[in-house]
Amino acid sequence: MEDLKQLYDAIVEGNANKAKSLTTDALAAGMDPQDILNKYMIPAMDEVGRLFEINEYFVPELLISARAMKSALAILKPRLTATGAKPIGKVAIGTVKGDLHDIGKNLVAAMLEGGGFEIIDLGVDVTPEKFVNAVREKGANIIALSALLTTTMPSMKTTVEGLKEAGVRRQVKVIIGGAPVTQKYADEIGADGYSDNASSAVALARRLVNEPK
Amino acid sequence: MRLKLISCEIFYREMCHAVASSPNLIDIEFLPKGLHDIGSAPMLQRVQQTLDKVDESLYDAVIFGYGLCNNGLTGLRARTIPVVLPRAHDCITLFLGNKERYLDYFNSHLGTYFKTSGWIERGEASGELSQLSIQRQIGMDKSYDELVAKYGEDNAQYLYETLYGYKNYSQLTYIEMGIEPGDIFEQRTINEAAEKGWGYEKIQGDMSLIQRLVDGYWDEREFLIVKPGQYVNTTFGADIIRADQIEVVNRPK
Repeated sequence: MEDLKQLYDAIVEGNANKAKSLTTDALAAGMDPQDILNKYMIPAMDEVGRLFEINEYFVPELLISARAMKSALAILKPRLTATGAKPIGKVAIGTVKGDLHDIGKNLVAAMLEGGGFEIIDLGVDVTPEKFVNAVREKGANIIALSALLTTTMPSMKTTVEGLKEAGVRRQVKVIIGGAPVTQKYADEIGADGYSDNASSAVALARRLVNEPK
Repeated sequence: MRLKLISCEIFYREMCHAVASSPNLIDIEFLPKGLHDIGSAPMLQRVQQTLDKVDESLYDAVIFGYGLCNNGLTGLRARTIPVVLPRAHDCITLFLGNKERYLDYFNSHLGTYFKTSGWIERGEASGELSQLSIQRQIGMDKSYDELVAKYGEDNAQYLYETLYGYKNYSQLTYIEMGIEPGDIFEQRTINEAAEKGWGYEKIQGDMSLIQRLVDGYWDEREFLIVKPGQYVNTTFGADIIRADQIEVVNRPK
């Protein structure tokens, strides 16, 4: 069996075309899709996260690696689904009501997807009701909220309240982030976690899905 | 009263106009707009340094031509005389005259960038501050050609679409304060909207909040008075900011 170290490298280097063709070849050669994901792709994204945290990688590098990961994952997904493999968690993510700034949200979504989560991307200006529906209808077990402005931060609070009113708050973990957001604010509105960057959001989400409810 | 005004340069024309017609004696110090681009902690540090250098024996209060500005003023400490700030998320409240009007407009016009004389003349960071900008620190300040050179054509195109431009924005709103020389700023905004293919709207600004700031009519619904021994904190609610007591750590003797 061909060593897929090259796929790992293609993701770390952010080469989407190479990542796609290597994944296609590996599947054609009969490799187990779950192995490709767990042994090469997820570790590659973990390495990308590490490089970001030691300031060797910056936002553009995170984005192109996540893009390479997503391209390869798109090829892998039908096969993974066929084997009945389950993601480690389902994250419904969006910028809160009133906020249209989605670079950070997209980055976090890409990193979480790279980290093995299924992403339900609700887009921008997302109402509390849409988050509630993502829990009820799509089975999201993590809600990730993003806001860039102090003007729109109160929508994070109303979203948490909306989840409570709908009776689904206990089924999900709520994580928040964005330039003006702080851990203190997360504590104040009763969110389960806060992260100040896309890479540590993955570690946070992994920790939360493993916590007892 | 004798007041010291520390203001963002984005209000240059408005503050000069308001001060000129104020009964108070006011010394103005303008700070560069680029402070907003360097992150909240470094911004606070520089604003605080400016306040700390004021000879407070000369004044009754220090007034601020700032909003909360993405937490760039969260943590600001008053020293020996009161500090007065408008309750505002950002400068648009000061241009529109009150925070409720801003919130209404914000919510009914998502995806709008605002233009005023200050935003047109002084909206871009320059010099040292542009070197320190968050965009630069996280690698989001590169030209398309630089991206191609570094990441290749395919990735550069993706990065350019993802990181730049004004994704999700679709309108320019020009706020006319009534103190501008003719329509030069309005015309520039109209041209910019046309170039971008965006909608355009002109609305009338309201100088009254800025005037009340410099005149000393500090109703607590509109302004926060931070007394000596207190600092500015965020409420995350409709009143935006509050004054909290600076906790003095008692050291064992």
